[in-house]
Amino acid sequence: MDDLNLLGPQLALLIGAGLIIIVDLLLPIVSRQAYQGRLPLLSGLALLAAAGSLGWSLALVLTDERGEAFDGMISVDDFTLFFNFLFAAVAGAIVLGSVDYLARHRFQGEYLALILIAAAGMSLMAAGTDLIMIFIALELQAIALFALVGISKNESGSEATLKFLLLSAISTAITLYGMAYLFGLSGETSLDGIASYVANTDENRSALVLAAVFLTAGLGFKMAVVPFQMWVPDVYEGAPTPITAFLSVASKAAGFAVVMRIFLAALGEGLITTDWAYLFAAIAAVSMTLGNVLALVQGNIKRMLGYSSIAQAGTILIGLAAVAAEDPQLLLGTSSVVFFLGAYAFTNIGAFIAIIAISHKIGSDQIADYAGVAKRSPLLAFALAACLFSLTGFPPTAGFIAKIYVFNAAVQADLVWLAIIGVLNSVISAYYYLRVVLNMFARDPETDEAFTPSPYLGAALAAAVVGLFAIGIYPTPLIEASESAARVFS
Amino acid sequence: MDSVDLEHFLVIGAILFGIGLYMSLAKRNFVGVLIGIELMFNGVNLTFISFSRFVESAEPLNGHIFVIFVITVAAAEAAVALALAVLLYRLRDTINVDQIDLLKW
Amino acid sequence: MLPDWGQVGFLLLIAIMFPIGGIGSSWLLGRIRMRPDYPDRIKEDTYECGVETEGPTWVQFNFRYYYFALLFVIFDVEAVFLYPYAVSGERLVVVGLIEMLTFVGILFIGLLYAWRKNALEWT
Repeated sequence: MDDLNLLGPQLALLIGAGLIIIVDLLLPIVSRQAYQGRLPLLSGLALLAAAGSLGWSLALVLTDERGEAFDGMISVDDFTLFFNFLFAAVAGAIVLGSVDYLARHRFQGEYLALILIAAAGMSLMAAGTDLIMIFIALELQAIALFALVGISKNESGSEATLKFLLLSAISTAITLYGMAYLFGLSGETSLDGIASYVANTDENRSALVLAAVFLTAGLGFKMAVVPFQMWVPDVYEGAPTPITAFLSVASKAAGFAVVMRIFLAALGEGLITTDWAYLFAAIAAVSMTLGNVLALVQGNIKRMLGYSSIAQAGTILIGLAAVAAEDPQLLLGTSSVVFFLGAYAFTNIGAFIAIIAISHKIGSDQIADYAGVAKRSPLLAFALAACLFSLTGFPPTAGFIAKIYVFNAAVQADLVWLAIIGVLNSVISAYYYLRVVLNMFARDPETDEAFTPSPYLGAALAAAVVGLFAIGIYPTPLIEASESAARVFS
Repeated sequence: MDSVDLEHFLVIGAILFGIGLYMSLAKRNFVGVLIGIELMFNGVNLTFISFSRFVESAEPLNGHIFVIFVITVAAAEAAVALALAVLLYRLRDTINVDQIDLLKW
Repeated sequence: MLPDWGQVGFLLLIAIMFPIGGIGSSWLLGRIRMRPDYPDRIKEDTYECGVETEGPTWVQFNFRYYYFALLFVIFDVEAVFLYPYAVSGERLVVVGLIEMLTFVGILFIGLLYAWRKNALEWT
């Protein structure tokens, strides 16, 4: 029973998903009319599941329950709990942001259930301390996301799914090959066992490096960093916008969580730490530069945010590179990554929900069509501008603190050149983010017809923007949370 | 050559993985790409099983358990992929990966 | 090594010789015209004594076959978890039973889904 208690946050999501599927299936038997109006019921259930997951995580924090469960398959510690909160909250925000989209859509039950399943999978990715568990969690969220990306069943959606699915499957196979060699070298699948092997061995160095490279290649796809970013713009453009938001925030955070688990807990001490520190540093520099430069020329705002998310992933990787390069006791790098992921979640969710609301009304994803939105809907334009400012890294927003935190970690770890590249890239990114803001505020709209977002979108957007400024002005609680999450690996 | 060692299995696993990777990147037909991916998974499975058989370990069965999970997950993935293939064929009258290029950077 | 596997190799050799011998001698006898050779349309049929074949080989199957095949593959492969459970069921007692019932229950929801979405209907 203790095991189930520790798994509670994920179980709440999964049970919610099961209930939604069953209700969606059996409702037409009860009444045809109730089935037509099932959306409030189903999304209410989904929100309830997300809230249940949040509540359970909170209960675990308050009762100070920690520990391993299911024979060391998962470990519930501060790191896991941080990501439990993150994923459940993001799932809730995505459900809110999807209500308008779903109203015109056939597969409402499936959509909501898949969102919850994917969130549970991501949360298990952060919790898994065994290669088997990590693999299953990885695939649980991946397969759910395949279906979500293609759920509209139109041409661009199915093409996006095709690219996403094929590249994701290839990357999974590559990850697995790396895992196979880790298992072969250490004879263990648990991260603890691998860690004790890696810490004590001084042979088989090349095989270990090979395994680490395979793992980086496979998981780099989930994090969407160069050179494994090819899928990002196409999938971001082709998927329904709420799913794009989900991918850019939750899926990416889950990828980073798994990378931190594997690389810090299993490969953290021993032969190859410095090897992958420089690998990560190089990937970070290339991702930031390529992502930002390509984002400059995009006309579609979803594609632009896709490239910008590649650049952001590069920025987060700076933190990871700093972890490996610095004295392991400092932990500044780890906590900066965790903090960045938290701040980035608020920012990007806010940006995407504002885009959903605006694009829904103006009927276009092109940046040029955003001209004069500020005159038609000042609040929405303000919210989107706040999120874009945060993505650029202006004070007093969450993005500013997050970037300072990460760059500080890099400087402390003697990676000054990487911090400089990061700052230069922030300057480049300011150009394309501000272009959208200028378009909205300085130009005149074609019509003066005012519009407001639906209450669901408004609620989610308000939460995101308030969070963004709250973190920007008073970051201490989130910093403390990410420090205690990072302390798991010390 | 008087016995079959771990290396032999690892080499076959690596060859399978390599063929699969090449197929999945070079094939134009969607189903061909999927077959390549399955080959990669099978190369991984062979590697796991042979490590599990030959390496001294506290939990020698973990490799086998891993393989069972890989097989089932691969089946689930293939099911989604084939459903997608049916959908693409209906929408586009082709499952040639090269010709599915609405989205471009 | 060799003595152990020699017998297998010997059997393999015989097994290969058997069809090659038959086909080869028939071809050879045909070459030296000792075997009568009267080709005939009926003799060259795919199935000499079966139903006559109709149309080309590459016909499109009804895509509903794929739905059934997919469903079959999924349920068939997921059943692989039942084998390890069956082997160690005695040691797992009640907890294992509950876990397995949960697993089968989830599969059942999948079946329920397929049924309600008319994936099990042929028409």
